[in-house]
Amino acid sequence: MAALQTTAISISQTNHLLEPNWAEITAITNETSDVSTYWLKFVDPSMQAGYSFKPGQFNMIYVPGFGESAISISSDSEDRDKIGHTIRFVGNVTRAISRLKIGDIVGLRGPFGSPWPVQEMEGKDIFIACGGIGLPPLRPVIYHIMHHREKYGKVTLLYGARTSGDLMYPTEYDEWRKADIDAQITVDRGDANWSGRVGVVPMWFYQFRLDARNTAVLTCGPEIMIRFVIYEALARRIPLENIFVSLERNMKCGQGSCGHCQLGPYFVCKDGPVFRFDALQPYFNVEEF
Amino acid sequence: MGTPDEISMELQKISWFRELEPKHLKKIAAISHLRKVRADEVLFREGDSEDNLYIVVEGRIALNIFVPHRGKVRIYTAEPLDVFGWSSVTPSVRQRTAGATAVIDSLVIGINAEKLRQACDEDHDLGYVVMRRLANIVASRLLVTRLQLLDMFANPESQNGK
Repeated sequence: MAALQTTAISISQTNHLLEPNWAEITAITNETSDVSTYWLKFVDPSMQAGYSFKPGQFNMIYVPGFGESAISISSDSEDRDKIGHTIRFVGNVTRAISRLKIGDIVGLRGPFGSPWPVQEMEGKDIFIACGGIGLPPLRPVIYHIMHHREKYGKVTLLYGARTSGDLMYPTEYDEWRKADIDAQITVDRGDANWSGRVGVVPMWFYQFRLDARNTAVLTCGPEIMIRFVIYEALARRIPLENIFVSLERNMKCGQGSCGHCQLGPYFVCKDGPVFRFDALQPYFNVEEF
Repeated sequence: MGTPDEISMELQKISWFRELEPKHLKKIAAISHLRKVRADEVLFREGDSEDNLYIVVEGRIALNIFVPHRGKVRIYTAEPLDVFGWSSVTPSVRQRTAGATAVIDSLVIGINAEKLRQACDEDHDLGYVVMRRLANIVASRLLVTRLQLLDMFANPESQNGK
């Protein structure tokens, strides 16, 4: 009987990953001119009840007639009522999503990929350095830390965007700060209405004193930004095994079968998107990789 | 504003000056002053003759360049421990290439650029430390400018001209 149950669960989990399940758009939050957060709920209540994800994982969102796209989950992993995906409209599928309305239905497969190591980081200081659309995959980490604040040391978020109008989730920063997360925001281009920092994310590292032996650095954003964040982290003697990177590549199948997202020996969809930097280092910052 | 001792104390908080010998620190303190700037107060304007190199002690200073049809564009903000106005120490530029305005109430150290250049010429040990530090600052600004030029957070479609 136990063996049968195991098989049934295994088949159900496989189907869950191979076949899209229908989910309804319950709300849409416009974040910037080309980014919105879509809040989804499975049409089948039992699917919704059984669905869980870990911070850093992603789902494949399917729009009939257009195809699928890998989208990071940007919501609270402890909120089982809804699943949030913050989407930049940049390809055929995401542009099709941009035309959908509340009440429309999409297909959803997942969750896929490796999560941020939130349990392994307990007891450490956390330094999150991210930029642009790199914040959404890290927002679940922020929520997780807020729920379990006592388990972490000093937590710093250094987030950069192109302009103040491109900042994601600006209404949440104060809440994060109240939870003792030092949220530091910078923009590449300032204007008269912006009284915060102007400058790129990696250059602000010098403002923070990091305890190299006890700090985990988490980074996500454009690869060029990640590269310089890692240079800065290494310059501050953060060990390779305490640096974690989430990569975005051309993910198609979500299971390491199609090879679209291959990076050296890894498939970003299956082995990533979150990597410990010591695994990634030989293939990082190598031309054509 | 600020006695030499007060200035010397502020200078010693800055990693820049930690490797200076006491006699060098004294020399720099003697040509420096502390200046409080209120939010929105202009520290210098584009085109002004260069007089001081500045270090932010507290607050935030915005560097702006006036662009015709766009107005003042904020290109950088200097935060505590940040150096700005560094081109005043180089011989090639004699005018401010950007303006500086306090974003919030701030405290800065101003170092007389001409006297600093003289001090560096007269004492090459001091000059080496100062110029090495300046080279670091220039390199860091160059990197920032490159990354800003790359417009790394732009929507890839708009960058590809789609």
